[in-house]
Amino acid sequence: MNNENLALKICNIDKTFNDARVLENINLEVRKSEILGLAGSSGSGKSTLLRCIQKLDVPDSGEIKCDCKVGFMFQDFQLFPHMTVLQNLVYAPSLKRKKDKEQFVDQAMDMLKSLGMESKASEYPKTLSGGQKQRAALVRSLMTKPDILLCDEPTSGLDVATIIDVVSLLKSINELGVTLIIASHDLDFLTKIANRVVLIKKGKIAVDVELSKQTDPVSYLREYY
Amino acid sequence: MNNIISNFLYIGSGIAISLELLLGGIIIGAVLGTLLSILRYKGICRSAINGFVSFIRGTPLILQLSVVYFVVPSFIGVKLGIISTGVIAFGINSSAYVAEIFRGGINSVPKGQFEAARSLEIPSYYMWKDIILPQVFINIFPAFVNEIVALLKETSLIVTIGGMDIMRKSQIIAAEQYEYFIPLCIAGIYYYCLVLLIEFIGRKIEQRKLSIKNL
Ligand SMILES: Nc1ncnc2c1ncn2[C@@H]1O[C@H](COP(=O)(O)OP(=O)(O)O)[C@@H](O)[C@H]1O
Ligand SMILES: [Mg+2]
Repeated sequence: MNNENLALKICNIDKTFNDARVLENINLEVRKSEILGLAGSSGSGKSTLLRCIQKLDVPDSGEIKCDCKVGFMFQDFQLFPHMTVLQNLVYAPSLKRKKDKEQFVDQAMDMLKSLGMESKASEYPKTLSGGQKQRAALVRSLMTKPDILLCDEPTSGLDVATIIDVVSLLKSINELGVTLIIASHDLDFLTKIANRVVLIKKGKIAVDVELSKQTDPVSYLREYY
Repeated sequence: MNNIISNFLYIGSGIAISLELLLGGIIIGAVLGTLLSILRYKGICRSAINGFVSFIRGTPLILQLSVVYFVVPSFIGVKLGIISTGVIAFGINSSAYVAEIFRGGINSVPKGQFEAARSLEIPSYYMWKDIILPQVFINIFPAFVNEIVALLKETSLIVTIGGMDIMRKSQIIAAEQYEYFIPLCIAGIYYYCLVLLIEFIGRKIEQRKLSIKNL
């Protein structure tokens, strides 16, 4: 990429599913270490955009430039059901560095603790509540040390207190240099965590705001929602 | 009375061969069937595999057994023993059925599981071994037990090439003693008990290992 400070550059992408235009002419640059919020109502195309960035979906046209390691937290978690929470977290990193497994276990336990999940480490996903699965999925996506983390609706189904824990974990991850792109329909959450919010409406970017330049970003964004 | 007991023992001595055929056949069937279904899922040799599965399922096992016994040796220049023939023919036959069972099993694993594995940069081999196949096994286990049971019953076709299994031994007794009812009953009891045993073990495994059935 020509610009050193960019983590990701999306040029002109389009995506259709069976004739339905889901993304239309999306152009977006994401700076390194930025926290970018992707806002938009349900069905606006947020997940599809994240999936294109992660190469799970292929855009019909356009290009996504990214030289970084990307991690993904799925909207529906996709925890491995036959593994305990801890096994879910340490399996992938330990594949590459078998002898560091102990260290990965410690890291995983620390992160679980910061989200009040340490007692669930040896449980299977089916015994967890939706919010607990979400937190486990978040920690799992962080375990492979991505440069960019894509989070799809990381707070849906969480209570207010837990959202605060998730916000502080994501912020501390961001302070370590991880770029975050967070899709959510929850403007209050996004404006609490992001530096910048991009609102997607029917597959197009409707607004792109730096939050530091807005006194009341939530109402500003609501106007476009 | 003595006669019945000695018939029981004589026919029972065929169990070893029946089980050898079953074990050999199911191992080949499971391994080959798993490989075929993974290749097919990935789109490698898809039409060849579809053709193979369809052909094997569309022709009688007794014909396949005869081909392996009478035809194949003339091509490879080595005469195969009865047991080897049986294991190969039953294994190949079973692999087609296992591949079909697996097709459903793989399709029942959510796409997101593959995507999650990819997002975590889990290499394909490990993804299949540690993420996908364990879930597939949980899904298909009951159908796989049915396949074992079906194969056990089909091993009796080995009599057509002279295998001395439970079935053959009961026929020998019948021919010697001009009495069909008792020896056939004995053979039936043996088969049925083996089937019940397989099903019992299957249920135990399901309860123990597969209790995390949350797929
Ligand atoms: N695999 C798919 N096949 C067909 N339509 C899809 C597929 N994925 C998403 N869509 C459609 O694309 C639109 C945008 O979906 P999505 O990106 O999930 O929106 P959001 O995450 O903002 O709620 C929806 O109308 C959805 O039905
Ligand atoms: Mg979505």
